[in-house]
Amino acid sequence: MSGRKSITISLLILNLLSFLPLLTISFSPDQPTDRRILVLLDDLALKSSHSIFFTSLQSRGFDLDFKLADDPSIAVKRYGQYLYDGLILFSPSTDRLGGSLDLEGVLDFVDSGHDLILAADVSASDLIRSIAAECGVDFDEDASAMVIDHTGYAVSQLEGDHTLVAADDFVQSDIILGNTKIEAPVLFKGTGHSLNPDNSLVLKVLSASSSAYSSNPASKLSNPPSLTGSAISLVSVVQARNNARIIISGSLDLFSNRLFRSGVQKAGSSYKFEKSGNEQFVTELSKWVFHERGHLKAVNLKHNKVGGTDEPSMYRINDDLEFSVEIYEWTGTSWVPYVANDVQVQFYMMSPYVLKTLSTDQKGLYHTSFKVPDVYGVFQFKVEYQRLGYTSLSLSKQIPVRPFRHNEYERFITTAFPYYGASFSTMAGFFIFSIVYLYNK
Amino acid sequence: MGRSTTSKDAQALFHSFYSAYAATPTNLKIIDLYMLFAVLTAVIQVVYMAIVGSFPFNSFLSGVLSCVGTAVLAVCLRIQVNKENKEFKDLPPERAFADFALCNLVLHLVIMNFLG
Repeated sequence: MSGRKSITISLLILNLLSFLPLLTISFSPDQPTDRRILVLLDDLALKSSHSIFFTSLQSRGFDLDFKLADDPSIAVKRYGQYLYDGLILFSPSTDRLGGSLDLEGVLDFVDSGHDLILAADVSASDLIRSIAAECGVDFDEDASAMVIDHTGYAVSQLEGDHTLVAADDFVQSDIILGNTKIEAPVLFKGTGHSLNPDNSLVLKVLSASSSAYSSNPASKLSNPPSLTGSAISLVSVVQARNNARIIISGSLDLFSNRLFRSGVQKAGSSYKFEKSGNEQFVTELSKWVFHERGHLKAVNLKHNKVGGTDEPSMYRINDDLEFSVEIYEWTGTSWVPYVANDVQVQFYMMSPYVLKTLSTDQKGLYHTSFKVPDVYGVFQFKVEYQRLGYTSLSLSKQIPVRPFRHNEYERFITTAFPYYGASFSTMAGFFIFSIVYLYNK
Repeated sequence: MGRSTTSKDAQALFHSFYSAYAATPTNLKIIDLYMLFAVLTAVIQVVYMAIVGSFPFNSFLSGVLSCVGTAVLAVCLRIQVNKENKEFKDLPPERAFADFALCNLVLHLVIMNFLG
């Protein structure tokens, strides 16, 4: 008897244990910060040479899973569910990724809304370059080319070929780079890439100065380099339409302890910074890419007639209505109200008939009121909000609009009184005529 | 030749028309007066619309239709009641007036609906 009881109890416990993996905190719409990150390295020595970066990530609560890039046990997906929320590829020279991950796998990972940090370097493999190309970033065709800047290099005793560049041309965005200005230039040593100007989703975060160019430092320059000046991007980000965020950097050393700790003096300036801007730059970017900042959600899209509280299923033309939506921003730990003065709503049927800027009450509620246009049909309330560094909001709610009913038209219009008078006078005339006609002797 | 003869002809025309008209029976003259009233009302409405614009167009149409409709029905009544008209010799004038009254009823029903 007791034997059977203990067996059932142990089976029960085993069953409950199998549910444990599902209980671990992961990316969810309520808590958009990533949690589990897979880090693929070329060489396990990177764990110690980039330890400041990795420990800062772990101290912010991320679960890092380190693997060699060609480890055959790599699996990002099991039974259709993703095991990780983010991927860090610090393996610029890997030709094939191990396990079930390949170019298609990485792109599917990003397409499903997960984030990626990709670091290429000099002589990056074709795999890494094609992942970057699929994300919208084109590395220099010559794989051994490096960014060289003869007037913006970092002054140092050792490297004399000006490939260690001190870059301070940041994108102007408090959301991506944080509120504090990065004072010291960022040290960079690696390949440059360019962005397609037609691509609206990709953005240069750190550009090279206008005197930089990309070529192989070991060989003589036979024809002018193809990538020059501030068209060279050193670090770019991509915010995809499904709100996946990608950082693509041309240098793995950007993240290394050596460059974090070193001081920097830009050639041409006499001021030497004690510490380069690398650590601040990388930390702020990692906060952005893993959705600790700049993640918006819009909830409670409501509309009602002025004076009513419930949502009608249909409006009539020339009705007055009120519209409201709540937008919150994620701070990394909680949702706070988002405050901006440029959120707009459209009342849309093939083209926006009404476009109004919503006014905010500073607590996340955006509202406005307007008159339904004089056109009937099926309209949509549309809120489309795309701002640099923020997730894009795209909400819509359909509502039909009907014309006047037969008894809703204006009556007793003053300008029509002569016509009313004429009609009644012909009726009176008919009566008088028939009396006169019939009783005329 | 010239103006004097044509004006004389016009005057002669008017006189003959006036004297011929004086010979018509009284009931026809009453119908003619009624028709004149309806046409005048229609003209007043059209002039008003030309000044003010056609905003409640349905009201304008309804008013003009009532005037034009009564004029048309009055013409029909006059044709049917005129003793000199060979076509309607066998039609009793009471029947003609009954038709006139019913048609006017329908006309006024329509304009009241359309008046808006």
